[in-house]
Amino acid sequence: MTVLVGYVPSPEGEAALRAGIDEARLRGEKMLVVNTSRGDAYADPRFAQEPDLAHVREDLAALEIEFDIRQVLGGGDAAEEIIELAEQPDVSLVVIGLRRRSAVGKLIMGSQAQQILLGAGCPVLAVKAAQ
Amino acid sequence: MSSPIDERSVEDARPPQGKDRAQYGVCAFLALLGTAVIVDGLAIPDITSSTDPVGPRAVPVLLGVLLLVVAVLYAVDVARGGHGEPEAGEDVDLSQGTDWRTVLLLIGAFVVNAVLIERLGWVISGALLFWGTAFALGNRHYIRNLLIAVTMSLTTFYAFAIGLGVNLPAGVLQGIL
Amino acid sequence: MDNLNNLMQGFEDVIAPMNLLLALIGVLVGTAVGVLPGIGPAMTVALLLPITYGMEPVQAFIMFAGIFYGGMYGGSTTSILLNTPGESSSVVTAIEGNKMAKAGRAAQALATAAIGSFVAGTIGTLLLVLVTPLVVDFAISLGAPDYFALMLLSFIAVTSVLGASRVRGLISLLLGLTIGLVGIDSVSGQQRLTLGIPQLADGIDVVVVAVAIFAVGEALWVAAHLRRKPVEVIPVGRPWMGKKDWKRSWKPWLRGTAYGFPFGALPAGGAEIPTFLSYATEKRLTKHPEEFGKGAIEGVAGPEAANNASAAGTLVPMLALGLPTNATAAVMLAAFQSYGIQPGPLLFEREASLVWVLIASLFVGNLLLLLLNLPLAPTWAKLLQIPRPYLYAGILFFASMGAYAVNAQPLDLFLLLLLGLLGFAMRRFGLPVLPLIIGVILGPRAELQGRRSLQLSGGELSGLVGGPVSYAVYTVIVLVFVWPLVRRFVVRPLRERSA
Repeated sequence: MTVLVGYVPSPEGEAALRAGIDEARLRGEKMLVVNTSRGDAYADPRFAQEPDLAHVREDLAALEIEFDIRQVLGGGDAAEEIIELAEQPDVSLVVIGLRRRSAVGKLIMGSQAQQILLGAGCPVLAVKAAQ
Repeated sequence: MSSPIDERSVEDARPPQGKDRAQYGVCAFLALLGTAVIVDGLAIPDITSSTDPVGPRAVPVLLGVLLLVVAVLYAVDVARGGHGEPEAGEDVDLSQGTDWRTVLLLIGAFVVNAVLIERLGWVISGALLFWGTAFALGNRHYIRNLLIAVTMSLTTFYAFAIGLGVNLPAGVLQGIL
Repeated sequence: MDNLNNLMQGFEDVIAPMNLLLALIGVLVGTAVGVLPGIGPAMTVALLLPITYGMEPVQAFIMFAGIFYGGMYGGSTTSILLNTPGESSSVVTAIEGNKMAKAGRAAQALATAAIGSFVAGTIGTLLLVLVTPLVVDFAISLGAPDYFALMLLSFIAVTSVLGASRVRGLISLLLGLTIGLVGIDSVSGQQRLTLGIPQLADGIDVVVVAVAIFAVGEALWVAAHLRRKPVEVIPVGRPWMGKKDWKRSWKPWLRGTAYGFPFGALPAGGAEIPTFLSYATEKRLTKHPEEFGKGAIEGVAGPEAANNASAAGTLVPMLALGLPTNATAAVMLAAFQSYGIQPGPLLFEREASLVWVLIASLFVGNLLLLLLNLPLAPTWAKLLQIPRPYLYAGILFFASMGAYAVNAQPLDLFLLLLLGLLGFAMRRFGLPVLPLIIGVILGPRAELQGRRSLQLSGGELSGLVGGPVSYAVYTVIVLVFVWPLVRRFVVRPLRERSA
C-alpha cells in the first residue's frame, strides 16, 4: 500500500511531507509524492523545481523509505490530479497541506484542499504548517 | 549568442531538420504581391504635370519590381540553404510543432468580435472575445472567465468610452449602459 | 537660454496634480506591462496607445513618457529574475544579472539596474535637451533631396545593419512600403491599392499596423508555441545596495551612458552594440575580474545604463528629424501622427510647448520610476504568475479595442487580424518586424520628398542629389555598405571575447 502526499514547495507542503513520512513509517508503506502544476502561467511557485525535488529525494532516501515522485504538468487542477491518482487501489491515505485563507480569498479562488477532502475515495489527512 | 546558458536553452534546441521548404511559399507570396502592385499601379491614370513630373504610377511600379526582385533573391537564398531562425522568446517553446488548433480558435474569436462589435456593442463582443481567447488558450474555468470577461469589457467601456471619449460602440445596450 | 525657459515651463505643466497623476499611471502601467513575459517596450506603448485617444495631446505625451521608461525598466526586471531576456538589448543585463540573482544578490542587481537606469535616463534626457535643438537648427536648412537621402539611409540602415539577414530585412521593408502605399496619393489624388474599398482611401492607420505586428502577431505566435513548464523565479526582497555596491556601480553607470546615448541617436545604432561594448569595457576595467560570469555588479550596472541612455538617444532623430530608429521610437512616432502632429524640425516651432512637456515628463517619469520600483519590485515579480490564457486574452482584448477605436470601423479589426497573421508568418520565417514598421511610417514621406526633389529638377534624377547634406548622407550610405565588413572584423571578435 502507498501513502500519497500532495507536495508543494512551501511550509504547508513541507508539513504535508513530514506528516506523510510519519504515516508511511508507522504503517510500513511506500510513499508517492505528487507535485502538480497546470503549467499555464509563466511562473508557478507551486511547481517544485529540481532543487526542491532533490531535497525531498535526499530526505526520503536517508530515512530508507521506498518512494516515488511524480510531477504532473499541464493537466487539470491539483485537486483533480490528486483525486485521480488516489483512485489507484493501493493508495491507503492522502496527505495534504492546508493554507490559511480569508473568506474572500476562498470565495474567489475556491479551495483545492476542500475539493480533495470531498472528492477523494480514501481517507485524507490534512495538516497545517507549523507556526 | 552563447552567453545565457541554462538547461532550457538546450532543451529548446530545434531538432535538426532539412531545408525549410515552406519558405518557397513566401517567395511565391512576394512574387504575387509584386505582380498585384504592378498591375494596380499600371491601372492608375498616368497624370504628370510640371508640379509633379513623377506622377502616382512610378512608385508602385518600382515597388512591385523590387518585390519581384526580392522574391527571386529570397528563392536563391533558400536554395542555397538559407533559413530564418523562428523567433524565440520568454514564453515560446519551439521544440514542439505549431499548435494550429489554438491559432484557428483565436482567429475565430477575433472574427466573432469584428462581426458583432457594431451590432451587439463592445461590452458584449469584447466579453465574447476575452472569453473565447481564454478558452482557445486552454482555460476551462468557464464561469470564472465569463465574470472576468464581463468585468473587463464593462470597465473598459465605462473608463474609455464614457470616461475618456474613446470610440467604442454601445450596440444593443445603447441607453442601458 | 530660451530652451531652458521652455523646459521650465514644461516642468510647470507636468507638476500640475492631474498631470503628475497621469505620469504616475503611465509609469505604473508601463512597468507592469513591461514585466509581463513576451511584451517589450514597443508593444507596451502600442497596446496602451488607445488609453490616450480621448486625452489632450499634452496629457497623452506625459503618460507616454512614463510608459516609455516604465516599459524599459519592466523588461530588465524580467531578465534579471528569469534569465530570459525579451529584447536583444537586455541580453547582456541578463548575463550577470541572473547570475547575481541566483547567488542571492537579486536585490542588489535590481537596485543597480534601477538606479543605473535612472542615472542614464536623466543624463540621456539632459543630452537630449542639449543636442536636439542643435540638430533642429541644422535640419531646418535641409531641403527635400536631403530628407529623401536621410530616409533612404534609414531604410538601408534598418535592413542591412540591424538583423541577421539582409534579404529578410529587405522583404520586411518592402512589405511595409507596400502597406504604406495603400490609400489616396496625396499629390495626384489617385487611389492606390485600395481595391475599391472606400475605407481604405485614407490608408491603413499606422497604429493598426503597429498593434497588429507587435501585439497580435506576437500573441498568435506565442499561443502556437506555448511553453508548458513553469520556470524558476528567483524570490526577491526590496532592492537595496550596500556602500561597496555603490562604489562599484557609479563608474559603469556613467560609462554605459556614454556608450548608449550616441549609439541611440545614430540612425542605425540601436541598443545592442552599446550594451555589448559596455559589458566588454567593464569586464576589462574591473577590479574583480574573477566575479565576471558569476554575477559581477559592474556587468549589470554598465549595460543597463547603456540600454536606457540609448533609448533616450533614439528620441533625438525621432523628434528633430521625424526618423524613428528603433521599434519603440517608431510606435511613439505613430502616436504623434495619430494626433496629427508630424515630428521633424518644425515640431519645435509649431508644437514647442508639447515637446518641452514631453521632455520634462521624461525627467519626472524617470524619477517616479526610481521611487516606485525600488519598493514595488516584489509585486512586479508576482505578475509572472498570471495564467497565460488571461495574459494573451488580455493582449488581444486591448489590441482589438485600440484598433477599433482609431477610426471606429470594424474593417480595422479585420485588417488587424490579417496583419496579425502577417506578423505571425514573419516570426515563423525569421523576418524582422522593425523594417516593416519603419517602411509603413517613412514610405509615404520618402515618396513625397522624392517627388518634391524631382519636381525641382523637372523629373531629372539628378534632382535627388542636392546640397552638401545629401552628398554627406550618400557617403554615409556607402559607408553603411562597408559596415558589415567592420562588423565582421571588429565587433564580432569583441563580442566573442565578452561572451
